[in-house]
Amino acid sequence: MEGFLELAPATALLPLISFIVILAFGRQLPMQGAIPGVVATFISLVLSVVVFIVVGQGYTYNEDIYTWVAGDEVIELSFGILIDPLSSLMLVIVALIAFLVHLFSVGYMNLDEGHAERGGLPRYYASLGLFTFSMLAFVLANNLLMAFIFFELVGLCSYLLIGFWFTDKAPPSAAKKAFLVTRFGDYFFLIGTVAVLATFGTAAFAGSDSFPVIAQDIIAGDISETAIETFGFEASTWFTIVGLLILGGVVGKSAQFPLHTWLPDAMEGPTPVSALIHAATMVAAGVYLVARMFGFYAISPTALAIIAFVGAFTALFAATMGVVKDDIKQVLAYSTISQYGYIMLGLGVGGFVAGTFHLMNHAFFKALLFLGAGSVIVMTHHQQDMWKLGGLKDRAPITYWTFLAGALALAGIIPFSGFWSKDEILYDALAVGLETPILLVAYAMALLAVFFTGFYTFRMVMLTFHGEPRSEYAESPDPVGWQIQLPLVVLGVLAVVAGFVNMVPVEKLTGLEIAYLYQWLDQAWLEQPIPETAAGTYSALVAQELPSADPNVLLPALIALALALGGALLAYRLYSDPEPQRHVDELGSVGHVVEHNYYQDEFQVWLAQGVTARVARVADIFDQGVIDGLVNASSSISLFSSEHLKRIQTGVVTNYATLLLIGFLLILLGFGIYGGWF
Amino acid sequence: MWIEALVLATLLAAGIVFLAPDRVAPRLAFVLSLIPLVGSLWMFLNFDGSGNALREGSTIAFQNRVEWFQLGDLYTLNWHVGLDGISMPLVVLSTILTTLAIVSAWTPIEERQSQFYGLMLFLEAALIGVFVALDFFVWFVFWEAVLIPMYLLIGIWGGPRRKYAAIKFFVYTNIASLVMFIGFVALVFGLGDAVTTFDLTDVAQALTETEPDAVGWMDASTLKAAAFAALFIGFAVKVPVVPFHTWLPDAHVEAPSPVSVLLAGVLLKMGTYALLRFNFTMLADQAMRFAEIIAAVAVISVIYGALLALAQRDLKRIVAYSSVSSMGYVILGLMALTIYGVGGATFQMLSHGLISGLLFMIVGVIYHETHTRMVSDISGLATQMPITVGAFVAGGFAYMGLPLMSGFAAEFFVFLGSFGSPHLPASHIVTPMAMFGIVIVAGYLLWAMQQTLFGEFDLATDYNPREAQLHDLAPIAVLLALIIILGVAPEVAFEMIRDATAPIIPGGDM
Repeated sequence: MEGFLELAPATALLPLISFIVILAFGRQLPMQGAIPGVVATFISLVLSVVVFIVVGQGYTYNEDIYTWVAGDEVIELSFGILIDPLSSLMLVIVALIAFLVHLFSVGYMNLDEGHAERGGLPRYYASLGLFTFSMLAFVLANNLLMAFIFFELVGLCSYLLIGFWFTDKAPPSAAKKAFLVTRFGDYFFLIGTVAVLATFGTAAFAGSDSFPVIAQDIIAGDISETAIETFGFEASTWFTIVGLLILGGVVGKSAQFPLHTWLPDAMEGPTPVSALIHAATMVAAGVYLVARMFGFYAISPTALAIIAFVGAFTALFAATMGVVKDDIKQVLAYSTISQYGYIMLGLGVGGFVAGTFHLMNHAFFKALLFLGAGSVIVMTHHQQDMWKLGGLKDRAPITYWTFLAGALALAGIIPFSGFWSKDEILYDALAVGLETPILLVAYAMALLAVFFTGFYTFRMVMLTFHGEPRSEYAESPDPVGWQIQLPLVVLGVLAVVAGFVNMVPVEKLTGLEIAYLYQWLDQAWLEQPIPETAAGTYSALVAQELPSADPNVLLPALIALALALGGALLAYRLYSDPEPQRHVDELGSVGHVVEHNYYQDEFQVWLAQGVTARVARVADIFDQGVIDGLVNASSSISLFSSEHLKRIQTGVVTNYATLLLIGFLLILLGFGIYGGWF
Repeated sequence: MWIEALVLATLLAAGIVFLAPDRVAPRLAFVLSLIPLVGSLWMFLNFDGSGNALREGSTIAFQNRVEWFQLGDLYTLNWHVGLDGISMPLVVLSTILTTLAIVSAWTPIEERQSQFYGLMLFLEAALIGVFVALDFFVWFVFWEAVLIPMYLLIGIWGGPRRKYAAIKFFVYTNIASLVMFIGFVALVFGLGDAVTTFDLTDVAQALTETEPDAVGWMDASTLKAAAFAALFIGFAVKVPVVPFHTWLPDAHVEAPSPVSVLLAGVLLKMGTYALLRFNFTMLADQAMRFAEIIAAVAVISVIYGALLALAQRDLKRIVAYSSVSSMGYVILGLMALTIYGVGGATFQMLSHGLISGLLFMIVGVIYHETHTRMVSDISGLATQMPITVGAFVAGGFAYMGLPLMSGFAAEFFVFLGSFGSPHLPASHIVTPMAMFGIVIVAGYLLWAMQQTLFGEFDLATDYNPREAQLHDLAPIAVLLALIIILGVAPEVAFEMIRDATAPIIPGGDM
């Protein structure tokens, strides 16, 4: 059984092969490259399930497989594979969604005339393959450097896919923004990676000499601080700084405040790509990194608190913006930002399992919602404005019912998956907040966001599917093929049932041991556990820094549920009318500010164009005028002086004789003064 | 004798091409340039050197040292050539880039071909000479010899302001050579009886064993500092380091693209290579003395160079200024004086040679098809020349330091080496400051790509751009392949670089 784990790299390499094949043969391939992509990701999915099962049998894997830079006299840099319950779970999620997105793309890109006639499909499938490869390799990474490498490649692929329709104006601009904003975050991540290597001499995530373990030992006092380089800081301070630097990359990729602005623009990419980016790859990469190296964050209460606050604030902030959007994909984009805020909050309050749980559930229901939106877009001839939709409920039942399942999960309505994981995050935040009251603020923000989530989710459902059709395309939508319906159904089922794997409140109330995800991540049942990445280890570490109370489980769950239902019902009341009204104007200037996304984009554009570009222009003027001016001035001086000096070359012998004499006298004078004759 | 054969074969090739008719010169130059290319690759594969050429206890590969002539009674001049792990990859870089640049010249160079290609090959011979020479005079002859073909190549085949650019390049770098020459000769005189040759290995050895005597009013310490400063400034012009960089954009903009490839790809590396040999190997103690200044110069070069690139509106100027930024990383890595720092700097020389060569080639192709280089004149090229544009995107990301391409490996090594360097003051602050360059570079390249490649096709000039020909694309493809190979498997070159770097690290840290 164990040997199967060595197949894990193949899950990542297959999509890479598909990328290379499509790149090489392109248009000659059947279905313009869709076949290699679908086949490769399907085999990847099968392999990842095999890996998952083997881990379920009790095996793990943590080996370097390729030496990037050999270690004689320097720090060795290598690529390796870490397979533990966390990565095997993520592997299945990513492979599943990548496969479904590939399949859906056949319906969305190849079979839809509007999309197919624009061409470029081999480029599309090649990029998707590279995207899948990068993300799977990132998930399997056993060290921070390798994680950074594939983290960046994920960024490249999102650039290529967001800007896929490059002849339009908006997509290339959105692609540039996505890469640039996340690059800004990755700048800090890169410093963090370099700092980890310079501090610990290793970037391994797991193993007895991995950097989280060394850091834990130093904090516990088992190793002297002098064993590592902390650049003049106290060890705990330095670890917090390094942790926060790496967090910069997370904030960028997972679209957390203030680096969230790229994500709504990223909607310019084809919709299946949005599903992939939001659910399983780019955005998921950020929080997965925090989970992957949770042992390092667990020892720093400051870093944890910052993660929690950034998450909670983003959850609320983005949810308010989702309320006023008209484009169905925009609403989903803000919901993604908000939901990743929850995951961050969960991780920040020490809820490693809760965060991972929500990451998984979100992957399923958000992929579902995006693919559902994609289905709507295909059937209505590319209509994304919700005010031009409506009435699709009966005209597209499969899309409607699956979308509704996703919406209920997103809003956090019992018993759909999102309820269980969001509840667990909120519960963990409350439990920690009762001991560290300042974190109650984060809890309150997240709780308030629940209400907004319920509202915008059902506003979207009502406007898109209920009421009367408000355009001719919504009146008579085109049918969609099985390639579109099958992924919706699979994900729809998952959106309903995925939450059952970790029903902590039920466990606490009934005493049944049914928190399977916790058990899975805790590794207690493994034959070869990797204790330093086990959930139990993390909670013990966090407990030393952030104590938690043990509040009643029922009441917080009921409050959150009531808020979600309240939001949903309000949306129902406001928009159930067959001819719904826009209510944004009633919000007055607040609504205006929210519609403009709190002027975040304007601020960042100002930073880029108003400040940086202006500084660059000033530098250019300085460079041309002063620096190059000096260079040219020195040549002018020599030209000028030679122009004048050459006049003494008169060709008249008496002039030369005079000059000779003057020169001789001057030399004589010079020697005279030097020799002290006078 | 292999090295002599390599240089002579290249010179001979230059002569043959120079005399050949214009019609056959392009193909002939390509075929003949394969001789030094294959030769240098053979040497690379059979490289048996170890250690650093300027340190005792090392084995210099393909070494040849013979007494040449006497300079008065005091000094003997040697013919001394050889290769170590630092110079070997640079020789290969020179031969590869020359061959590729020759192929990339087939389309744009339409007159006086035999002279053009002859000069290109002559340039190659001189460049190889710079990297193989281990005696100061031999080295200096090659160093100066590089200027001649470069001056002519810019001055004859260049753009409208070619005379200005060529003269500026020649005078600026020649004055710098003079400063550097004086600095080195003063140092050797200061060493007095400790050295009887101008052999770099002897001088380096003498400097580790003895302090120079006072010369004139300068005591030993001042002499070394002054020699260091003279050498540093002399090489800084070539690199170029801010504020000595203003000849570079002028030269690049006027030079024909194949010449820009060699100018950015190899000529700039002469400066960094010399800095590494002289300032950071022979006079590393002085480098540490001026660490604050050098670190500041490195950071300013990176950030200021990147900001200047951001302000440009001409594609070629953008790429030209970005070289200033990239060379700043080399200075930072050298100043770190750690294996990853100096090794990373050397790796960056290779990597930047390939990547900037690639971008200049692509800009050249675009210019040939559109007759403009202004960003605002072009939009939506991707629909007209998809393969070239794909290569542009790939090259752009390589320049931004995308992982698994050589630029990332090089920059990462530099950052890793400098972050924890004991020789760099406040290394953990200075390094992140320089690292901000990776954000700005993404800013201007992504901007330029968005403007010119994407959107609807539109061109201000009256041309109808078509996909480049196969022989324009082939060198681009080769460079991309090399960039990816070095990014995925940096050990191909880094193994020997590391081996040659380790002996010169003060204290042997990291």
